[in-house]
Amino acid sequence: MVNGPATATVPRPHHFYTEPEWLDVGDVRVAYRRKGTGEPTLYLHGAGMTRMWLPHLEALSERVDVIAPEHPGYGETEMPEWLDGFEDLVIHYDELLDVLGLDRVHLVGYSLGGWLAAEFASFYPRRLKSLTLMVPAGLRIPGKPIPNPVAMMPDQFLDLIFNDKANMHQVAPDFEDFDEIVHLYGEGATLARLAWDVQYNLALERRLRRVTCPTLVVRAAEDRLICDEMAERYAELLPNARIETIPGTGHALAFEQPDKVATAIADFIEEASTR
Amino acid sequence: MNKLDFYLFHLMPYPYIPPGEEIESTWVTLPNSHYDPKVGHRLYNEYLEQLIAGERLGYDGLCVNEHHQNAYGTMPSPDIMASYLIAKTERIPIGVIGNALPLHANPVRVAEEIAMLDVISGGRIISGFVRGTGMEYYSYAANPSHSQERFWEAHDLIIRAWTEPGPFAWQGKHFRLPYVNPWPRPLQQPHPPVWLPGSGSMETIKKAAERRYPFMMVFAPQWFTKANYDMYRRAAEEAGYEASPKQLAAAIPTYVAETEEQAHREAKPHMMWLFQNGLKIPPYHWFPPGYTSKKSFAGMLGAKVKHNMKDHWDLTYEELLEERYIIVGSPETVIERLTEFTDDLGAGIVLGAGGHMGSMPHWLVMKNTYLMAEEVIPHFREPDGKPSYARAEPLGTRTLTEHAATVGEPELQPVARLNGSLVETQRAYLEELAET
Repeated sequence: MVNGPATATVPRPHHFYTEPEWLDVGDVRVAYRRKGTGEPTLYLHGAGMTRMWLPHLEALSERVDVIAPEHPGYGETEMPEWLDGFEDLVIHYDELLDVLGLDRVHLVGYSLGGWLAAEFASFYPRRLKSLTLMVPAGLRIPGKPIPNPVAMMPDQFLDLIFNDKANMHQVAPDFEDFDEIVHLYGEGATLARLAWDVQYNLALERRLRRVTCPTLVVRAAEDRLICDEMAERYAELLPNARIETIPGTGHALAFEQPDKVATAIADFIEEASTR
Repeated sequence: MNKLDFYLFHLMPYPYIPPGEEIESTWVTLPNSHYDPKVGHRLYNEYLEQLIAGERLGYDGLCVNEHHQNAYGTMPSPDIMASYLIAKTERIPIGVIGNALPLHANPVRVAEEIAMLDVISGGRIISGFVRGTGMEYYSYAANPSHSQERFWEAHDLIIRAWTEPGPFAWQGKHFRLPYVNPWPRPLQQPHPPVWLPGSGSMETIKKAAERRYPFMMVFAPQWFTKANYDMYRRAAEEAGYEASPKQLAAAIPTYVAETEEQAHREAKPHMMWLFQNGLKIPPYHWFPPGYTSKKSFAGMLGAKVKHNMKDHWDLTYEELLEERYIIVGSPETVIERLTEFTDDLGAGIVLGAGGHMGSMPHWLVMKNTYLMAEEVIPHFREPDGKPSYARAEPLGTRTLTEHAATVGEPELQPVARLNGSLVETQRAYLEELAET
C-alpha cells in the first residue's frame, strides 16, 4: 500500500489507535483499516471517534471482512477542497470500492455514516448485498431536530452521547489537548460542509424505495441524540428493512455494547448472504 | 488633515434582560419573549436621536451595523437604519459597517440597497462588509464552512456590479446570476468607500491591505489591535505602498465626564452591562466549525492560551481599562488614551468615542456625546475644528438651481408615441410639440 500523507501531524487518540493503511482514491489519500475474512463489509464511521479501531469492529472482523476507511476530512484523511456535500462522498465511495476491486459489498454506517450509507444505497443500490444503518441521521422527523453537537459545551455533548460515563474517557475526545481541539475543529468543518444547513435530506424520502437489498436498522434503546422515530421512518421508507433495538445503551452503542452490536450485524449479514 | 476622525457608533442593544450569569447567551437562544416592542419603540427612537445629534455636534460620521436574533444589537437590517439617518441629516457620512455578506442569498440586494442609500444621500455612504459573527451562523443557519468563500465572492460581485456596466453574467461558485444589472448605480465613483470591520484573520487583513480598505478592530485589547495593525502595514508594504492612518480604525467604547471620579461612576455600570451581558457568548457560538481555517483557529486559540486572554464577559472593569478595551475618564485622560492610539498605534479613525454604550440611559449618552465634542474632539482637529467631510464639496446638489446649473439635462429624454410620432413627454404640454 501507499505511504501516508507528508503532512501527517494529526494527533493520535490515547486508546484504540492503530496505524492505518493508505489508499489513493482520485486525489484523496485515504486512511483505512481492514481486518477479517469472509463477506466484504464497508463500514462508514460517524462524526466522531475517528482514528480508532474500536471493539465492535474487532468483534465484527471475527466474522466478516471489515473495511473501515476514514471519510475525506475525518481522522487522518485530509479534507479535499471539493468536498461540499453527501453526493461528493457517495461518489468517493463508489470509486473506493472500484479501487479495492470490490463489486458488491455489505454496507454498514454509523450515525452520520448511517445517513451516508443511506445516500450511497439510494444512488448505487446494485452495489449492495445488504445495508445496515446504526442510529442513522438523515431524515426529517417533525418537531425533533437532531441537536447540533457544536451548539453546546463539550461536556454537555459527551453527556448526550455516552450512557456509560465510567468508560467513556477511553474514546471521548481529550478537550484539554490543544492539537486535538484544533483537529476536531477541522472535523467539525467537514461536518458543516455536509450537514450544517442541510440537516436532513427530503429527497431520501423518495429515493430510498430504490434500495431493495435486505436492510437492518439498528436502534439504541436509550439514544438521547437521535429519536426513536428516525429508525421507524427509515424502516417505513426502505422496502426490505427491519429494526433491531440494542438495550442498555445510547448513541455510543458501538462502544458501549460492542458485542451485541457486532453480533446483530454479523448475524444479519450472514442471513443476507445465504439467501 | 484631522489627526483622528470620530465616528458615532451604535449597537442599539435591548438591555432589559436577565443577568449574563443566568443565561446561556445574549445571542441565538435568549428567548425573544424578553423583548417588549413598546420598550423597543422608545429605545429605537432615542437611539436614532443619539446618532442624529452627532451631525450638529461635529462628529465625522454615524455608524450602524448588522446583527441577528440577539439583545446585544437589534439592527438586523442596517440599511433601514441608514435610510432613516440619511433623511434626518444633511451632510454627515453614514457608515453601514457592515452588511454581513455571507448570510444573504443574493449579494445584488446589498449592491442595490447601498447604491439606493448613496444616491438618495448625495454620496454620503460608507459601505462596510463583514462576515457576521459566529453566532449569526447559528441564528441564520448559514454554513460557516462557506463563510470566507462566500464573503469574498459576494464582495467581488458587488464591486463589479457597482463599477462595470450591466447586464453581465456572474458565473461564480456560490452565486450564479445570469443578469447582474442593478438599478440604481452608486453616486460615489468608482463606488462608495469600503471598510472591513472585525478582528480579522491574517488572510482577511492581507486582502484588505491589498485593496486599501480601512480595517477596523472591534472591542479588542490594545496589544492585539497593534499586532493586527502591524500585520496590515506589512501587507500594505508588500503591496507597494505605505498605509495611511485613515486605513486603521478601532471601535473603543469611550466615556468622558467632568472628572475622573464622575466618569467612572457614570460609565462603569453600563460598560459592565456591555461586557458581562451584551457579550455573554459561549465559546462554541464564537467559532462555528469552518468559520475560520484550521490554521487561523490554531493561531487564535494559541494566542488566547499564551496571553491568558479572558472571554469578554469575564473581564473586570479594571482589566477593561488596563487593556484599553475601553476608555473612561476626564477630558485630559481621554485625550491621553486616544493619543496612544494615534501616536503609538498609528490609528486615524475611532468609533465609539462619545455616544451610547451598554445600558446607558439617553441623558447620559447625550452628556457623553456633547462633552466629547466640546472637550476632546477639537484636540484632534485642525485649528478650524471642522469634521473631515466638511473639507470636500458634497457630491449631491442640495437645491434645484444647483442641479440645473451643474448637472443639466439627462442624456436621454422620456418619449412616448403620440398620434404616430415620438414625443418628448416632458414637453408634450406644449401644443405644437405634442402635435408634431
